Amino acid sequence: MFPSTPLCRFHVESCIYLSPATILTPSSLRSLGGNSSAVASEKYFAGERLLCQHGTTTGITLNNHHTMSLWVDKYRPTSLGKLDYHKEQAAQLKNLVQCGDFPHLLVYGPSGAGKKTRIMCLLRELYGAGVEKLRIEHQTVVAPSKKKIEINTIASNYHLEINASDAGNQDRVVIQELIKTVAQSQQIQSSTQREFKVVLLTEVDRLTKDAQHALRRTMEKYMATCRLILCCISTSKVIGPIRSRCLAIRVPLPSTEEVCNVLTTVCKKEGLLLPPELAKQISDKSGRNLRKALLMCEACRVQQYPFSVDQDIPETDWEVYLRETANLIVSQQSPQKLLEVRARLYELLTHCIPPEIIMKGLVTELLNNCDGHLKTEVAHMAAYYEHRLQLGNKAIYHLEAFTAKFMAVYKKFMEDGLDAMMF
Amino acid sequence: MNKLPLGDNTASSRVNCWFDPSFFDLPGESFSLPVRRKGSQALGSKAEPKRQKKRKGEVSNSDPHASCLMKESAQRDQDDPWVDRYSPSSQAELAVHKKKIEEVESWMRLHTNSSKGGILLLTGPSGCGKTATVQVLSRELGLRIQEWINPTNLEPYSSSQHEWRLNSLSCSSQLVQFQEFLLRANKYNCLRMLGDGGTADRKLILVEDFPNQFYMQPGTLHENLRRFVKISRHPLVFIVSDSLSGDSSSRFLFPREIQEELDISSISFNPVAPTTMMKILTRISSLEGRKKTCGKMGTPDQAVLEKLCSGSSGDIRSAINSLQFSTLPDMSLHKGLRMMKKDRLVTSLDKDVFRTNQRKRKKQTKEQKEEQAIGGKDASLFLFRALGKILHCKRGNHECVGSGGGAGSCLPSHLCHHDREELLADPELVVERSHMSGEFFNLYLHQNYLNFFSDVEDVERASEYLSDADLLTADWTSRSTMEDYGSSVATRGLIHSNSQHISGGFRPLHKPNWLLVNKKHRENCLAAQSLFRNFCLTPVSLQTELLPYLAKLTSPMRNQAQITFIQDVGQMSLRRFPSRVKLETLMEKEPGERKMDSEEEEEDKEEGLPTSQPQLTTSQVLLEEEDLVIEEYTSD
Repeated sequence: MFPSTPLCRFHVESCIYLSPATILTPSSLRSLGGNSSAVASEKYFAGERLLCQHGTTTGITLNNHHTMSLWVDKYRPTSLGKLDYHKEQAAQLKNLVQCGDFPHLLVYGPSGAGKKTRIMCLLRELYGAGVEKLRIEHQTVVAPSKKKIEINTIASNYHLEINASDAGNQDRVVIQELIKTVAQSQQIQSSTQREFKVVLLTEVDRLTKDAQHALRRTMEKYMATCRLILCCISTSKVIGPIRSRCLAIRVPLPSTEEVCNVLTTVCKKEGLLLPPELAKQISDKSGRNLRKALLMCEACRVQQYPFSVDQDIPETDWEVYLRETANLIVSQQSPQKLLEVRARLYELLTHCIPPEIIMKGLVTELLNNCDGHLKTEVAHMAAYYEHRLQLGNKAIYHLEAFTAKFMAVYKKFMEDGLDAMMF
Repeated sequence: MNKLPLGDNTASSRVNCWFDPSFFDLPGESFSLPVRRKGSQALGSKAEPKRQKKRKGEVSNSDPHASCLMKESAQRDQDDPWVDRYSPSSQAELAVHKKKIEEVESWMRLHTNSSKGGILLLTGPSGCGKTATVQVLSRELGLRIQEWINPTNLEPYSSSQHEWRLNSLSCSSQLVQFQEFLLRANKYNCLRMLGDGGTADRKLILVEDFPNQFYMQPGTLHENLRRFVKISRHPLVFIVSDSLSGDSSSRFLFPREIQEELDISSISFNPVAPTTMMKILTRISSLEGRKKTCGKMGTPDQAVLEKLCSGSSGDIRSAINSLQFSTLPDMSLHKGLRMMKKDRLVTSLDKDVFRTNQRKRKKQTKEQKEEQAIGGKDASLFLFRALGKILHCKRGNHECVGSGGGAGSCLPSHLCHHDREELLADPELVVERSHMSGEFFNLYLHQNYLNFFSDVEDVERASEYLSDADLLTADWTSRSTMEDYGSSVATRGLIHSNSQHISGGFRPLHKPNWLLVNKKHRENCLAAQSLFRNFCLTPVSLQTELLPYLAKLTSPMRNQAQITFIQDVGQMSLRRFPSRVKLETLMEKEPGERKMDSEEEEEDKEEGLPTSQPQLTTSQVLLEEEDLVIEEYTSD
């Protein structure tokens, strides 16, 4: 069925999965014919542990420079030395890499602070430019219950990035299986390269407890051949044992000035002139979220160039929509209004806005309309229903309950206010 | 009912039997009969005549129960189930609407006269006369019915060596046997037997009893049918009962595309109309009354008949069965009624309000029980009415209670704002009768409750109850038990919190949007992740930051799928009143959609299929397009 040479080659490739470049190119994968090759190789090399026991692995090479022209990606720093802020931390990371011994890392910090960028820089420092040749792989993991879990991973020859929370409740299986596969294969030229590979797990705070405990065990077991870099927004949802096994690195948000600096440099590279006032406004409006700031800046560019100082910064549609919804709630408190609000909430949900974000945005907007002690009450209510949102099953019940509660409280507040004015 | 290939002389006498007899289990009757009724008769064709006789319990010597059956045969005449005795013999006697009969008849005429057979699918609730229609019509058209009945290989009473051998011969899988049955029934005519009419060359193949395998793999059935359609010479009729609890085996076994592919005509029957049923029940009871000589049976009066009629919810078989049951001397209804009256007398002596309330409830449940005892079939409530019962929350009259209990409130003063009049409907019962899971019922309530409230404070309380209910059923391990509590909390909470009910007026009810919205949400999220995978972002930042801004940018290098997705999801039209969420009005007699549409991510096993389908195709597109990119890369 197969001539002997390609088969042997495939065998080698499978065993040293994710190791040196060039061998597991997507074209070679394709030439072997995806799924059928997996079956065939399994037949021929029964008893061997092959990657393809997981099923099909389809590779797609990421080609950053051709397909993407977003400023965020275009001007993303690629080495620790080129990072724009938190330079001291960058230097420490560099030292860490040079020292040789390299612990598991837990990188945390708010969204848009540059965690991922920092991690990629670190990987580059570790392995060189080869780490930037990324490919997306579609992997199928078979759970013990015979259920097939499909998950996308991003990999280079040296590292593997998994967002295991994509697998929902089955994330434990995904973590165990994928890390095992990576960890059980050795680097091929250990003389010139690091002895370990890196598994990058994103959104660790969204993993189930089950998966986190599984992770703890896996971390210990495969310490010799692989290092984990965990990436999350807050460590509060990461269990203690994991936190204590990792070197925690906090990446705080850049300061307003730092955001302004980045914006200005990017604009300069684009050949644009960004007025400092506008840069300040953008950085304020983005909440120092650098990704958002850059996107905003680029949207400003599309909207109007040359920039003017008092140009209004484009906001996302959903944020505007959410603010209007909040205004609707404040304007009138009646069941009919609530019905209208519900329709708008549904609309937001169908536009992929997660319920937690809706809740948060709604509260922020509503709080602007409250004063004094009402603020505490509303915040308390919001916390209460946000908690239920997490526990519960159907988000709309809780979002609506919060809205109704706010309406009732606000109405009472206004009526009391009116009464007080009468006297 | 079971007209069999070879057992003609016996079968012809059985042809009149209308429905499955159901009273063989009654004390005093033979208990051996049901054992064989559905025995393996269809294919072990040589064993047929013998078994047939045994089934009738008349001649067979090998049957250990035969003698006792003989003795009883005299009494049997009386205790023969009425469904058999009064089975319809002509179209006029059928309890089915004329139009339906015509429909079936024209199909039958069309397909028996042409040399090529077709497939007909009859659906409808049980006991609405599907089988009876087919039988009556085929008799009138001179067709012979050849029916498939699931063979059983269990032969506990087979003592004779001969039979054993035969059984072991026919010991192939049901599936194979079914295939053979279809083939043979189609290919070969029946053997002419003595006493047979000349009409036997035209026949109709009937399948009412599906091999179990098909429920697991409907694909095999479809495969068989495809083969059948190619060579078919005789009409083939499938009868599938659909039940209110909605497992929808007809949709499962015969999905729309198969129906189209194989050109299956489908006719669905409605439950028997109350007037028609009344007519038939009256006829039967009057016939019985005339026959009644020994006086051991009471004739039911009109009221009882009506009760039976309403209790059976359109199932004529169960109605006739319960009619016979109710006229049995021991189980007489009147006795029960008398007892009940006595009960009422006793309780009515109490003057206390509390007791009065209790009594009322007791009376209510008694009435229900009465209906149940006779009817035997659960009364069901259409969703529309069930929702109305909760949302309109009719309460008892104020004066009525007030006169009984003086002040009218037994709550202490600080709780008196919780005081409500007594409910007319029991919420739990309403939910139960709607044949719906509590969770789903809550969704319907949630969709519609706001129109019935006038006050924001009330809405606040009501929405909190709904939120509570959701919380109760959040954990999937305990959901099955907590579901009842959840629905109880939601229904009672809604009713209780509606203090200033807007009375009167018809308000349209709508189907819940949530399922659709949630499905869409997840679909979109998945699509977003697969389409914009190469941005390597976490879902949240992808959906809330990147996509909305991408909509505002003019980034050139994107494929069509991405562009349409961004236009669809990234942008929101701000001024427009949301039109995406369409309100679907709930029709009066519509059964709710039963499937929760793979709503819970955690435990839903089949979750992947419906939602991931569009996503898979989009990612397929992506794969192909990205393949081109790969080539660029390798050529570098």
